Amino acid sequence: MRIRTNELVKVLTVYDPDQGRTIPHRIKWQNTVHTIRTISYYHRERRGQSIFHIYHVNDGTCDFRILCDSESLSWKLEEVIDGID
Amino acid sequence: MLNTHEPRIVHVDLNSCFATVAQQAYRTLRGKPVVVAAYETPGAIILAPSIEAKRFGIKTGMSVQDAQLLCPRIIVRQPDVGMVRDVHIKFQSICQDYSPDVRPKSIDEFVIDFTSMKHVGLRELVRISRDIKKRLRQDVGEWMRCNVGIATNRFLAKVAAGLHKPDGLDVITHVNLLNVLGAITLLDLPGINVRYHARLNTHGIFTPLDFYHASMMTLKRGVFQSIVGYHWYLRLRGWEVDAVDFQRKTYGQQYALGKKTNDRRELSRILLKLCEKMGRRLRRKGYVSHGIHIGCVETNGTYWHKGRKSHQPLYTTQDLFNEAQYVLNERPPEPVVSQISVHCYDIEKPIGSQSTLFDMENKQARVSKALDKINDRYGEFTITPALMMNMEKLVLDRIAFGRGGLPGEVQG
Repeated sequence: MRIRTNELVKVLTVYDPDQGRTIPHRIKWQNTVHTIRTISYYHRERRGQSIFHIYHVNDGTCDFRILCDSESLSWKLEEVIDGID
Repeated sequence: MLNTHEPRIVHVDLNSCFATVAQQAYRTLRGKPVVVAAYETPGAIILAPSIEAKRFGIKTGMSVQDAQLLCPRIIVRQPDVGMVRDVHIKFQSICQDYSPDVRPKSIDEFVIDFTSMKHVGLRELVRISRDIKKRLRQDVGEWMRCNVGIATNRFLAKVAAGLHKPDGLDVITHVNLLNVLGAITLLDLPGINVRYHARLNTHGIFTPLDFYHASMMTLKRGVFQSIVGYHWYLRLRGWEVDAVDFQRKTYGQQYALGKKTNDRRELSRILLKLCEKMGRRLRRKGYVSHGIHIGCVETNGTYWHKGRKSHQPLYTTQDLFNEAQYVLNERPPEPVVSQISVHCYDIEKPIGSQSTLFDMENKQARVSKALDKINDRYGEFTITPALMMNMEKLVLDRIAFGRGGLPGEVQG
């Protein structure tokens, strides 16, 4: 099942100086905390002069597409897929 | 006249690029039949099936509903354009670590030319190819795979890359060329479509080996009736005829209408958005145009098209749209349109235009530049003509086929 959303969410991040990037560690969505196990893909997109950091992450069960707006430093959850067709 | 030199051209090709990228990003899609289509509706055309979907016989160009007949549990996704462009850039960066001469052929394929690096032999090229595959998995994503083909020219390198999909690595040299050509069909050759296939058949050429053994005169005077026949003669023998960079001659946009219509107002609105996107690309590269061409694919299968030359250089979106609208008005009201395209041609870099009495043209050009600056800063379509209101989700950002889809040629 796929849920498309566009809501601001709480994200706990860790800055890794070795990789030189910020890594999302936990997401709180619908009162559930999801611990991120893997980052499947990370890329940046420029929209106008704003840069968005887009993470595709997985908590072992679901995939999440989360987006960090580098201008407002806000985190938005865009999509959740649970892998059950 | 066979090219017996050592191969120095490497062709790399991402497997089922759009679908594999989706599976890389979403672990829950891995190992499942996935297709990436223009839309998620039944009539949408499939751009890329995953390797698992291909096992069901699903191919690029099929409709989603046909794919669902072959595999009812098929997963349909729209392309993530930003992510595919990012993969392209990362993949290009990997390839550039091995040779300074890396040419993107499309969003998912590159040609790496080692001709200038005389010390790199075939063994080294095979090692480099394995390294590229490994680095693709390490640097881009563990689900990513690519085919690699090595040969003396681009054509045979591409043939080699297609021999063992997915994740193949093949070499074509003068030693095994005839064996390879004997094992494939004419339609497996890049550049041979159904029409060329029929044309070759009419001259008694039914297999790649027949094609190879055909004389230069048969190909030049008989089959192709042009220099193209001579090029095929050389290509099949491993000589390079495709290392040519063509200069861009047109800019264009096209749109397949989700809701087919012949409503003039609706078509005008779509046309304006296409002109805005085309104009942004034209201006970004510093060109003006002197001609507009409109094409409409109609629901009864006909294709209406017309072009119009302009004495004045076309630069602003308004200029382009006015000319395009003029052309579109010449189209008969029937039948219903299913796809519309607009191209501007006869492009050139302006050398400085003569000022008109009231300097209106320069004023409009300056306004256009200012609007582009605002859209560059705050994102596409921040400021748009009023006719484009409520059209944000119409005419989505897409990756074109071939070189038109490269990140430097962003369609959006």
